[in-house]
Amino acid sequence: MSSSSGESTAIGFLSVRLHPELGYFGGYLVLNAIGRPLEFHCTLPIRASRAQEILFGNTLEDFICGEQIARALVSKAKFPSCFVVTDVAAVLSLRRVHSQPVVYISVPAASPASSMNYPVGQPIQLSGFTAAENKISVLPEFAADKSVVQQHVERIAPKIDFSEPFGRIAEALLEAHPSAKAA
Amino acid sequence: MDRFATTDKQPSSVVQDSTVTEFQSWPVESVDVQPYALGWQSQLERSLKIETLKIETLADDAVREKFEIIVVPVQLANKLPKTIGFAFAEVPEIAPVAPPPAKKQATDKLEPAAEPNSDSSEKPEAKHFTRIRPPSDLVKLEDRLFFVLQPPLESLLSNAQLTFPFRPFPYQFEGVAFLFPRLAAILADEMGLGKTMQAITTIRMLLMSGEIRNVLLICPKPLVTNWVREFKLWAPEIPVAVIEGDQALRNYIWQSPAAPVKIANYELLMRDRQTVESDMKFDLVVLDEAQRIKNRSSTTAQIVCNINRTRSWALTGTPIENSSEDLVSIFEFLSPGYLKDDMHLKSMSQACRDYILRRTKDKVLTEMPPKLFRDAELDLNPDQKISYKAAEEEGVVQLSEMGEELTIQHVFELVLRLKQICNFDPLTGSSCKFERLEADLEEVAASGKKAIVFSQWVKTLDRMTDKLQRFCPLQYHGRIPSHKRDDVLKRFKEDPKCHVILMSYGAGAVGLNLQFCHYVFLFDRWWNPAIEDQAINRAHRLGVTGPVTVTRMMTVDTIEQRIHNVLEEKRELLTTLFAEASKPRNLGLSQKEIFGLFNLNLPRAEAA
Repeated sequence: MSSSSGESTAIGFLSVRLHPELGYFGGYLVLNAIGRPLEFHCTLPIRASRAQEILFGNTLEDFICGEQIARALVSKAKFPSCFVVTDVAAVLSLRRVHSQPVVYISVPAASPASSMNYPVGQPIQLSGFTAAENKISVLPEFAADKSVVQQHVERIAPKIDFSEPFGRIAEALLEAHPSAKAA
Repeated sequence: MDRFATTDKQPSSVVQDSTVTEFQSWPVESVDVQPYALGWQSQLERSLKIETLKIETLADDAVREKFEIIVVPVQLANKLPKTIGFAFAEVPEIAPVAPPPAKKQATDKLEPAAEPNSDSSEKPEAKHFTRIRPPSDLVKLEDRLFFVLQPPLESLLSNAQLTFPFRPFPYQFEGVAFLFPRLAAILADEMGLGKTMQAITTIRMLLMSGEIRNVLLICPKPLVTNWVREFKLWAPEIPVAVIEGDQALRNYIWQSPAAPVKIANYELLMRDRQTVESDMKFDLVVLDEAQRIKNRSSTTAQIVCNINRTRSWALTGTPIENSSEDLVSIFEFLSPGYLKDDMHLKSMSQACRDYILRRTKDKVLTEMPPKLFRDAELDLNPDQKISYKAAEEEGVVQLSEMGEELTIQHVFELVLRLKQICNFDPLTGSSCKFERLEADLEEVAASGKKAIVFSQWVKTLDRMTDKLQRFCPLQYHGRIPSHKRDDVLKRFKEDPKCHVILMSYGAGAVGLNLQFCHYVFLFDRWWNPAIEDQAINRAHRLGVTGPVTVTRMMTVDTIEQRIHNVLEEKRELLTTLFAEASKPRNLGLSQKEIFGLFNLNLPRAEAA
């Protein structure tokens, strides 16, 4: 998905959910400028090993969500996205191994009936800004991404709602992993 | 302090009996400890021996030489999780449509958030998302995800700049989301909730997203113009062709690819059966008022079932008019053999759950003005009484004398004769109902309102027309030619002098939008409560601007009251039909009940 100028007009939406028994599920949805799905990737559920828990400590979820799940998902996508939006702060660590901006938006938690919840990550310092009325953040070390994201949004989707696609991802994860439906 | 002197002995052993231990490799000169003597602890008098411990680390060459070092590698980052991927074909974007010229609609007062979505530069205040959910019979994960991952209807329509004359209600979006992914579906919303709009919007979206290319819509003949009008309103950019004219013209229209939507009426299908059942193929066939095929052995039902198609939708406010067999017949069109007559009702209810969407006004339109029922129980005028008594006595005697020759037709004939006397006395024209109607209409006219009067007989409507001239009555029934009907409705709506329209149940009960009327009179009663409901809902529907008063006229101690009592019981059962597992087998009047109206026993021949 690219514009006539060759620049990508696709946006990636990446989420990670934690099932109490099965572990972490990742989903990556690439949308075109009007929100139609281009591709969707999801991971099989993964659990952190004991060694990982010990060795990564507080940074475990950054590692699992950002460097493992998010990295795997983004690497599988065929449509290059001009930036990635996530509703899990731990996924921001993807930016350290990914060339495109990664921004975080806080989305209200899913209904209590859902068996998949957001991972409970460690508080991290974020640098916030606004794009298309969405309050989003980046890691402070990548503050330069702000203007890049704002330009992309202005160019391809000035009315986009960043939070909406995460509802789709959550439902798609449940469709793809029926075993996770039962809490 | 010498009691707490430490030694600097190396190598150290494990420190015992000590409360203070320093794990460091350099000697400790002394530890300044101030004990808190309690007096009863003699142990405190004894010198405390504290030893320091030196930890030997791998940094020391000597230690490395002494121990064999085992290194256990832990794989941390190289192996990424396994993924599953799905790619979706890029469907054409829904083409932006220029907004239609703004025009005042008589029905817009009740519509929520009246502003068209095309010019809304602001984000919606309340984030209510209506998502398309895959039907349960869709098995392939990729197909299911295709629907799950579609944007919510609100944003899909907003982004594509599709315009609506009014912003649809949330439940209407849900109806669209229900129909969109389904190959077989029944939209069974109560009359007046906008089934037409939901069907048109879904057709519009399917056409513009390239999911379908040609649609056949079949409806009762009187509703063809209504559908054309609704298409112009809700999907002005979609060309619609009405199948009409002589055989040659009809053949041309059937074959013409110019209009993606073709509208035909049920009656016409009989004449064009050969054409329809030939090699024509439709991506979608929609049956409006699908209860028309409740008799599956009818020619109409057979023809529609033979149409070659991919998607099949049925629209009806009364999927079950008489018995569950009506529903089985509709399913013969949707998915032949899926339901069976002998299925237990509970199983049937479960089996069709995913195929039927039914909402009632009281559930989804909590803000809608109420529908007020008045049962006008009237005594027959003296003339009517004499005629009625004579006819009833004579009729019952005749029926009783018929014995085994008695059939349901004979009973019907008597019922009809008595009902007609209840309307007007055949000799004098006297009518208690008409007197009441006339008085009520005075009030309706004085308040500048409009009323609909329903009757089973055109002859009754004719009689009323003559006597109601001061209210400028209009007629709408089977004898009014189709091409004149729209003009009648238009005049009724626009002419302030016209306060009443006289309608037959047959012509006026379905598909008409008369929400500007605040009064409905049922001059005589229909056999089936569902038909009466449909008639009432011509006025009590979306866009109605005030309460609708329904006056059900009924003469006491007559056949009308007996029918009324039976129908009221049936109506109660109808309302629970979709909710209850144990449902009645038959909701109309059974033969036994019809015979019972005159305390007659069912003859053996009829019983068989």
